[in-house]
Amino acid sequence: MNGLVFTLWLANLLLDTGGQLAFKAAASDERAGDGIARWKYMLRRPWIWAGICCYVVEFVVWVAFLSLVPLSEGVLLGSINIVAIMIAGRFLFHDRLSPMRVTGILLVAVGVAIVGAGG
Amino acid sequence: MKRFYVIGFALLLGFDTLNLVCFKLAGTHALPVEMSAAWLARVLSSPWIYGAIAGYIGAFVSWMSLLKHAPIGPAFAASHLEVVSVMALSYWVFNEPVTPTQVIGALAIVAGIVCLAFAEGDEGTGDVVPA
Repeated sequence: MNGLVFTLWLANLLLDTGGQLAFKAAASDERAGDGIARWKYMLRRPWIWAGICCYVVEFVVWVAFLSLVPLSEGVLLGSINIVAIMIAGRFLFHDRLSPMRVTGILLVAVGVAIVGAGG
Repeated sequence: MKRFYVIGFALLLGFDTLNLVCFKLAGTHALPVEMSAAWLARVLSSPWIYGAIAGYIGAFVSWMSLLKHAPIGPAFAASHLEVVSVMALSYWVFNEPVTPTQVIGALAIVAGIVCLAFAEGDEGTGDVVPA
């Protein structure tokens, strides 16, 4: 992995994790209410837009990354994001990490990596 | 809450799968790929691209609704079930090869999601890291 590929990989990891955390912050705001009012509230707050911005930039980074590495490596990257978001969710949103949940998340991450590598 | 998750994740899976399959069909409709206005016009003239856009919007609304209650780590992992559904559809609809290794990966994803479903049943007990 050369410098540019590593930078793109790290940028993708940070943008995906940051984007998902921003979406969670927007969606779990208890002041938002329900139904259409909830969407109006979320759209007036910064978090949902922060998430969308992360995803727009991530899209460009992802295309650049995939142009430099095989698709299987790209899918492998996706499996690392699952673990990063698990850890970030634990610290920022106090996600409970029971042994069953950790096992489930790790099985999904390994499965995604195997599907990618098995092409 | 259990029904909320089942319906929410089923909708997310449906919209994500619709999005990917429609993208593939729209791309095939617009061949050959070229960086030109003609190619973009061919993409936009395909009805499938609008299915892909509908899939994007539906998945976004489903995901934001799920995140109101769902813990982000397990939910993000569970959202990868689309890898399995798209693999199955690419085999049946597009006659793409699926390797035994990929089947093993798909089974691991399904097993992981079964674990997450069981974890929802006894939420809050036996934390690895106390919340």
